[in-house]
Amino acid sequence: MNPGLPSTLNPADLLQRVNRDVERSILRARNGVRYVRGTQRPALGTTPKDVVWKNGKAELWRYKGGDRRYGPPVVIVHSLVSRSYILDLRPGNSTVEYLTAAGLDVFMLDWGVPDELDADNDLERYVDWYLPRALAAARQVSGSQEVTLAGYCLGGVLAALYAAGHDNAYVRNLILMATPFDYNQMGAMVGLLREGRLNPDEMIDETGNVPADALYSGFYMLAPTTEVAQKANLLENLWNDEFVEGYQAMATWSRDHVPFPGAAFRQLVELLIRQNILMTGSIPLGTRQVDLINAQGHILNAMAERDNVVPPAAVEPIMDLVGDPALREELRLPGGHVTFGTGRSALKHTMPALTAWIIDHSYPPS
Amino acid sequence: MPANQPLWLRVVLRAERAIGQPVESAVRSDIYFDVISTTTRVRRKAQGAAEGASRRCLHLLNLPAGSDIRNVRQQLARIERRLNQLSDEVSDREESTPVSGRAR
Repeated sequence: MNPGLPSTLNPADLLQRVNRDVERSILRARNGVRYVRGTQRPALGTTPKDVVWKNGKAELWRYKGGDRRYGPPVVIVHSLVSRSYILDLRPGNSTVEYLTAAGLDVFMLDWGVPDELDADNDLERYVDWYLPRALAAARQVSGSQEVTLAGYCLGGVLAALYAAGHDNAYVRNLILMATPFDYNQMGAMVGLLREGRLNPDEMIDETGNVPADALYSGFYMLAPTTEVAQKANLLENLWNDEFVEGYQAMATWSRDHVPFPGAAFRQLVELLIRQNILMTGSIPLGTRQVDLINAQGHILNAMAERDNVVPPAAVEPIMDLVGDPALREELRLPGGHVTFGTGRSALKHTMPALTAWIIDHSYPPS
Repeated sequence: MPANQPLWLRVVLRAERAIGQPVESAVRSDIYFDVISTTTRVRRKAQGAAEGASRRCLHLLNLPAGSDIRNVRQQLARIERRLNQLSDEVSDREESTPVSGRAR
């Protein structure tokens, strides 16, 4: 017997069920046409914001709308490979909206879409040039000397290098979200590059950057058949406007990668992937050696237990390497790599846990 | 897998996993990595050979090829990067110079 059916079905229930199915079929047809036509795409990254600093493609946004009760400001440093609106996907399903509503002053450092002009951007450019200037702007507009610095994915590596490599970093809290440290644990994502089957220059195109398509292919090949399951789920839930909107938002983001600046990519491959240098606790940056143990502030190492892009094994060593051992904390969350930004699991677990930790480590309301 | 899913969806999801798991294992294998690196190199070589041939043909007719335009774009990007660097250096110096010491 179908477990969805009650043991006895009276005519009223049957009529109700038929009505529901007819209604859903009509909605499926309507939403199906809209989906195929590509109209009615959901608006993404809509939390109101001001651009408070800009240089080249990089922009620092300050989100509006909240009653800013806690300090210091939270500055999110996004990854270099994807679009930052994953952390502000849709109203009601947005990390920045959640943090802002909790009374935090939230900033986002968005790297934009690199082109030929950004091909020479190396790690030093991000850590020693963009980050100090963007954070100075955040301090100036917020009136706070310190910041809570939160890095997502590769943005976490940049944030950790900044917090460890600058004496006057003024980082009160350093949050590393799904931040890869042990590249030997990164699996298929970096297998081709780690073992020298491909050299970084073979992936760099005529613009001097790794094209977005190559990055998308890398992520897609982690689970090439899951799109079938996702499409089947969409078909079943096509009557549900909210489901369709959520599906379209995620589908848009997952295909919306940005080129990776060539100079930073060469360093990523040579230093981080092939030498796995972060695991030594020290990395050359410019003319100096940055020791990760010098990272300032309380450290929160947040990871998703079912992350197949940056598996927990690649993230766990942060607890032995970054910052003062007495100030390190770990947060294990259910869900996958994008759990930090969106989805039911994010709303239920990630956003409340991150927000509570930040507030616990912030200044009390003034 | 939720029990209230329709039968067709459960069948599709099971089939997807049955096919997906071996596919995911295959794309993590050495053979797959070798195939990808070889095809990447072959594609780049073929692309380079085709570009070279078309460039020679176009140059015979005194026409610029795509690679010429690409070179010009790269040169322009280098100049713009250099200009940006100089502009940044000027801004940094202005910021580090005390107000009273600046030329008026």
